[in-house]
Amino acid sequence: MSSPAVALEVELERVHPAAFGWALACCGGDRTAAEDTLQASYLKVLDGRARFDRRASFRTWFFAVVRRTAAEQRRRNALWRLWPLSWLGGAVDGRPDPAVALAQSETTRRLVAALARLPRRQREVLYLVFYQDMSIAEAAEVAGISVGTARTHYERGKAALKQRLEGERE
Amino acid sequence: MSERDDEELRERFAALRREHTIAAPVFRDTMAAARSRPHPPRPPRPPRPRRGRRLGFAAGAALLLVALVLILTVRNRHRTTVDLASVRVHAPTDFLLQLPGADLLRTMPRLGRVSFDRRTL
Repeated sequence: MSSPAVALEVELERVHPAAFGWALACCGGDRTAAEDTLQASYLKVLDGRARFDRRASFRTWFFAVVRRTAAEQRRRNALWRLWPLSWLGGAVDGRPDPAVALAQSETTRRLVAALARLPRRQREVLYLVFYQDMSIAEAAEVAGISVGTARTHYERGKAALKQRLEGERE
Repeated sequence: MSERDDEELRERFAALRREHTIAAPVFRDTMAAARSRPHPPRPPRPPRPRRGRRLGFAAGAALLLVALVLILTVRNRHRTTVDLASVRVHAPTDFLLQLPGADLLRTMPRLGRVSFDRRTL
């Protein structure tokens, strides 16, 4: 294997756990869909369909690839559900994986449930900032939106999340 | 929202991250699964224009340029210029403006000789 390919693989291994968490967030907690998304993203990087142009950090760039791949798979699944014979294939239903849900503590289960009720953009920005410790600018780059829009999603999402978590506590 | 609330959210997300890290698939397995997936065909590249076609375009452009230059120069050669100072316009009603004795005013008088136009007498 050539040296750039090895370097790429080392970078992928470094971000792998965080990328899996991000893939789970993009797939609504569905572990099977998240693994599928992650594999498809790795394949895109390996065969050169996604190229790292060093304009951002590797993690920011790769998370954007994962987000796009998850969106493609979501669209494909939506189309598949329209197909009359889709019941033969067992398509991904987008619901959280029971095994993942079982392993979660009560606190994180409540957090995941509250996050699931937020609009997608708000959820994505909150995941990137709080879960991945990214800045709002980095989150904006991953989500493919402007920094101002990301900041709005962040503020609104945080307020809504807090309200929901407090509502459950009472 | 206070910083304490932010801190609480961070702790909750950190707990979620820890759980996800434990549950994450092994990198080598994911990579192996990715490699075993069928590679989607690359989209075909748009065909590059052939060299002959490019030469043809260049020759056509050069011909067009030569034709344009020729047309402009030939047009200029046959162009006739009008000297407005030498033009005399004769209107059908010019005779109405001729005054009696007008010829006398145009001719040079000679010494010792008197010339009259009989029509003016």
